[in-house]
Amino acid sequence: MLKKNRVARYTAFAGAFALILAIAPAWADDQGGPPHPPGENTQVYSDPLAPFNEKMFTFNLKLDHYILHPVAQGYADIAPVSVRESVGRFFNNINFIPRMANNLFQLHFPEAGGELARFGINTTIGIGGVFDPADKWFGLQQHDNDMGLTLGHYGVPSGYYLVLPFLGPGTIRDDVGMAADGAMWPLSYFVPWYIYIPAGAGKTIIQAVNYRSLHLDLFEQVDRYAVDLYGAVQDGYMQRRANELETVNQY
Amino acid sequence: MNNQSRPTNRAILLLLGLLLPATIALTSARADDSAMATTRQFVDQALHILGDKQTPTAQRQQQLRQLLEPRFDFKEMSRSTLGYHWKTLSAQQRDDFADVFKNFIEAAYLNKINSYAGQQVQFDREASLGTGYAQVFTKIVQAGKAPIPVNYLLEQTPSGWKVYDVTVDNISIIANYRNQFNRILNDQGFDQLVADLKAKQQQLSLTS
Repeated sequence: MLKKNRVARYTAFAGAFALILAIAPAWADDQGGPPHPPGENTQVYSDPLAPFNEKMFTFNLKLDHYILHPVAQGYADIAPVSVRESVGRFFNNINFIPRMANNLFQLHFPEAGGELARFGINTTIGIGGVFDPADKWFGLQQHDNDMGLTLGHYGVPSGYYLVLPFLGPGTIRDDVGMAADGAMWPLSYFVPWYIYIPAGAGKTIIQAVNYRSLHLDLFEQVDRYAVDLYGAVQDGYMQRRANELETVNQY
Repeated sequence: MNNQSRPTNRAILLLLGLLLPATIALTSARADDSAMATTRQFVDQALHILGDKQTPTAQRQQQLRQLLEPRFDFKEMSRSTLGYHWKTLSAQQRDDFADVFKNFIEAAYLNKINSYAGQQVQFDREASLGTGYAQVFTKIVQAGKAPIPVNYLLEQTPSGWKVYDVTVDNISIIANYRNQFNRILNDQGFDQLVADLKAKQQQLSLTS
């Protein structure tokens, strides 16, 4: 049962991997025009999935407006910032496996070891990850990483921009990576699916509410400066991921 | 021997006395010409205006506009935000767009000045991007919050260094607008883009 589950997962993963290799990269360079000053970012994105993405983007905005934001607001009204930051650190600590594994996959051994050490220190001295003494006392900084970045590190193009319901903006590469990172969640190997799926969903929802409660004016800030909100979020996502890839490549 | 050296010493001192202020003046004049010094100058002045809550908002907005207009190259930013669409536009359309874009940016950022809460700017370093181009790395620091990296990309012009892009958290503002404008231009065309920018500016002026 366990083994079959894992085989199915790897097959799905390999299939998706082949799919990304087959499709074109998401960005095309600016053509022609006057010369560009150095350092100018000239990228525009081809977005063939835009009709679907725009619908999902609108759906997610409504979901946020009618459910996530009000719930996060209510939660923020009763729980002080320090408590919510501790909750954030707790989840961040238990999510260390994909960070460690992907640093390992990219042969960033000190960073991978650091993630393991951080988990050990923060789980014990940091009382289950609620505090971060690994950084404060031992100077062990977190080195974020994920499977989308590992794929990028080994030259897999990002693939088309894809907005998924509930999950938000991504690219095909990053969404495949997210699924692979999710498969690293240890609970799924020890308990049956009818426990780990609801448990995983619950964990994701709590994390989302907690994060939103700490960033209550997130969309308002973006929307204020945006002329086309979808385009602003899309470019923000693509630039952020490009920066993150650059960061992990420098580990 | 002592007697002989004294006039020499005095001559050296005199020479130094004359030369030192001159060299200081020279080096400081040169330092004032760097992209970093230019950025520091307008950022410091902007922070001073932002912190001066006694003066009415409208007056401070005017002061900021006067301070920043000669230091930001709105024409270049307009060209850059339009990407490859720029070359399809007439000279008239380009000028119109540059005006509308500048007004929009000013409305978006200058209407926000009363939310300034004493944040300070830390100047980290300057890197050359080639002859006549430089990037200045700064951070906005605020107690109890993570610093926000803000970088300025500048070009040297006959009237000094001018900003042609700003990155916040390493996200290029101009590139972000390029993606938005590219979508509007492809789906709805130039006139709609100008109309959208004007509408947004109107909305920002009302809500402030």
